[in-house]
Amino acid sequence: MLNKDVKIINVGIADIQGGQSPSVIRTTLGSCIGVVFYSPEKKVGAMAHIMLAKDPSGKDSSKNPHKYAETALPELLKRMTELGCNKGEYFARLFGGASMFKGMNSSFLQNIGDLNVSVAKEFLDKEKITLLVEDVGGHEGRTISLYLDDGRILLKKGGFEKYLYKVR
Amino acid sequence: MKEKIDQLFENEAQLPKISSVVSKVMEMVGNPDVVIADLAKEISKDPGLTAAVIKLSNSAYFRPAKPVKTVQESLMTLGTKTVKEIILLNETKGILKKELKGYQVDGEANWLHSLIVAELAKRIAVQKKLKVDKDVVFTAGLLHNIGKVILADFFPTVLMQFRTELQNYEGPYTDLEAKFFGYTHQETGAKLLEKWNFPQELIEVARYYTEPEKATQFPELVSIIHIANCIVILGGMGIDIGGLKIPLSSKALQVVGVTEGDLQMYYTLLPEMAKHIEELISV
Repeated sequence: MLNKDVKIINVGIADIQGGQSPSVIRTTLGSCIGVVFYSPEKKVGAMAHIMLAKDPSGKDSSKNPHKYAETALPELLKRMTELGCNKGEYFARLFGGASMFKGMNSSFLQNIGDLNVSVAKEFLDKEKITLLVEDVGGHEGRTISLYLDDGRILLKKGGFEKYLYKVR
Repeated sequence: MKEKIDQLFENEAQLPKISSVVSKVMEMVGNPDVVIADLAKEISKDPGLTAAVIKLSNSAYFRPAKPVKTVQESLMTLGTKTVKEIILLNETKGILKKELKGYQVDGEANWLHSLIVAELAKRIAVQKKLKVDKDVVFTAGLLHNIGKVILADFFPTVLMQFRTELQNYEGPYTDLEAKFFGYTHQETGAKLLEKWNFPQELIEVARYYTEPEKATQFPELVSIIHIANCIVILGGMGIDIGGLKIPLSSKALQVVGVTEGDLQMYYTLLPEMAKHIEELISV
């Protein structure tokens, strides 16, 4: 049960939020991906809600860096630094990236999810941040809540919900 | 389950209601010869509604040319159709902000979903220069999935079985609603709007927004709302237990003339649109 005093921090579409224990950071994802960083020692974490892998126009990402993986992920690293965490102290988890129901004839909409996931993974690889848990793809939307007191994630998907406790 | 829903519609007391002032205003605005002073007088019968009209008229969303202090000024500055839009927005807020528990959507998310579908639909109509009334597009977007509010109440008894079946289900999500409840939320929404004596356009949108090919009277309007809904769901706003199981209709894209590039643009614009409607969400 959620204590009344626990602050819920909502992450909007194309948004990054961070916080510390005992707050809860929450977002809802369709094709977008949620990248979650959490430091079990310091009990701080941050979440990015990313819409697209790259800026298709090349003009929007400077104005809205949080929309695109290529610009949002460096920002997410920065947020962890601001929260007092060095690289190596926190680990990543990855959610979302659903694709449109089959029969979709738009290759753009069809592939958003998969592209988001692969670009995020490449980034984590390059930055040597361990990816602990992922729940990606499929046709379901997901709501994820990161409990900063112990780093568990409540994943709601397709009518079911479960806690994911792996944080390191 | 179907009998229970039929009973609900026979015994209107338990259905969400629209105030008599609002129905009267809807009817008056539908008449091209409506006198503004009469309309202002009707709205002023309801103090809460009057306050809401003035407050929303002055919001950044509606951007009046000069500050609006009375209902009459609001009608003259923004026009009767926009004021009707404001009134419906204010009236349906309480209904659409309800938590849709069985659908796994909270009240705020459903309200944001309804408003952003309305906003995006209007954007599509303007960008595609369609000959549909922009205010009707907004209202249709606002009310498209109102039937969920009613079906949500019936979920608790079937939820476990519903979820189990959903796990391995590949067909359109609403077939499951029909199987478990006897009605889809589209049929339920259309029935509710009929009860309210709402215009035929809005009823057809509620009925066919997930299968726009079946729209016979207002295919353009239904297609616009269908596309807007799919994009907003893809963005995760108001995404429910059914996930992304409503296929985007290529016929609808054709009817509205939406290209691959347009889809990309609409999707990318969602955060800006959400910002634009921020004030409407907070009312």
